[in-house]
Amino acid sequence: MDILLTVLSISSISTVLAIIIVIAEKYLNDYGDCEIDINNGSKKVTVQGGDTLLSSLGENKIFIPSACGGKATCGSCKVKVIEGAGDVLPTEEPYLSENEINENIRLSCQIKIKRDIKIVIPEDFFNIKEYKARVESIIDKTYDIKEFRLGLIEPSEIDFRAGQYIQIKTKPYEKIKETVSRAYSVSSVPSEKTGIEIIVRLVPGGICTTFMHEYLRVGDEVILSGPYGDFYLREDADDYIFIAGGSGLAPIKSMIFDILEKRIDKNMIFFFGAGSKKDLYYYEMFKELDNKHENFNYVPALSRPDVDDKWDGEIGLITDIVSRYVDDEMKNHAYLCGSPGMLDACINILKSKGFTDQTIFYDKF
Amino acid sequence: MKQTPEFMKIQENMQPGILTAHGFIGDDTRNIKDIIEEDNKNILSLDLSHSDIADRMQYFTDLAVNELGNRILIDNDFIVSIDDHRGTMPCPFRDNYKAVKRNTKLENTKLGKTVYWSDLNIHMIRDHGFYEGKGSFFRIDTKDITEILGMITAK
Repeated sequence: MDILLTVLSISSISTVLAIIIVIAEKYLNDYGDCEIDINNGSKKVTVQGGDTLLSSLGENKIFIPSACGGKATCGSCKVKVIEGAGDVLPTEEPYLSENEINENIRLSCQIKIKRDIKIVIPEDFFNIKEYKARVESIIDKTYDIKEFRLGLIEPSEIDFRAGQYIQIKTKPYEKIKETVSRAYSVSSVPSEKTGIEIIVRLVPGGICTTFMHEYLRVGDEVILSGPYGDFYLREDADDYIFIAGGSGLAPIKSMIFDILEKRIDKNMIFFFGAGSKKDLYYYEMFKELDNKHENFNYVPALSRPDVDDKWDGEIGLITDIVSRYVDDEMKNHAYLCGSPGMLDACINILKSKGFTDQTIFYDKF
Repeated sequence: MKQTPEFMKIQENMQPGILTAHGFIGDDTRNIKDIIEEDNKNILSLDLSHSDIADRMQYFTDLAVNELGNRILIDNDFIVSIDDHRGTMPCPFRDNYKAVKRNTKLENTKLGKTVYWSDLNIHMIRDHGFYEGKGSFFRIDTKDITEILGMITAK
């Protein structure tokens, strides 16, 4: 009986305390209107305090890159905060270098607006918009990669640079109640302004890739934002080396077609690493480009071709193939996109050939 | 076992749609304290530690990384391959740990059994003694994993 009374007393006290906390939060966390000063007064917005900097800016149509949609898991939503953000939070620390902390770089998804705040963001961020789009086609490219074409509804046109990415918002499905955003590189050319193409590889257990692969249908509307990212083609190189694997082909495809379309007189060599023939896609298309354009060389390589593949192309790890083709005298820019393991291995090879951080470009989401 | 508020927040993080599509609990009706407790008992009964298991998993993952997805034969009995994706995965235990999105597939050719794990699995086993709930996408059965990794002999 004593135990029962003790349990009841503790439960009652806990309930009362919880109610007091909820009521107190309602009043104490009313921060009122707060001003966000952007780029030394070049733009000012007034927001209701209490929300994160990332979502408050988003409500004012200022979109900060965020591959995870504000869950502090990607570290992409960095902004410089001049004043008004308080100390760096433990949730931000894993994503910030010592230099960044010294320069007041913060994760905008973790900063709660409680007072006026002054921030600095790149001017490019003002060009990022939210778009309503409709799924026009979904095509299986391999057993785990699909190509999606999205027609823009409102706004009806987008300006981006070859290599940049957009973010797609999922809708709730099955047990998933919340909307999340994920980043996907655009694979179509910038001249196609009324729609975009993206390539999505299914990640086991991935919230957004599962949505895209299994729940999104032709005709569905989706919300996306963009363009984002500084992985885009620089036109000041002598020649270009492109290296991709899996869905990393997306931004590279956009860059290659952009160069060909603009008739930029540069030599290009495109290495695509795959396991076996079933992992290859756009193979015929790039082969045709190779035959048609003197300045484009396509080098697909299989690391473990199946017996039935009848493959007469390059065989081996992409690193070995790149090492054989690229010589120390080349004065190129290298653009890489693929899995982190492939990127790290290829960067090491390129650096051993004299490439530097200034001549190697990659998007490591 | 009753859970602390901190563990209740962790359990919330493990629901489908928060960090992954399927979550970390599966159809297990136990709370995570109980899941950890039971798996801990199983591991102790085998005279092993969570670090022993995590070290063994990491050993295979590290050897397979350089093969960029190719299968590699290790120590005569194990065929291992890696599949990695762009991005990182935060640990649901709110310890600020981020794992690369990398999955290891290991086949024990002697037993004819295969097991999959993610880099996050290795971390959660080593630092939290957590093997995920039953029915979860990346649940690792404590007895199976020790057999397949060649740490105990299958009976």
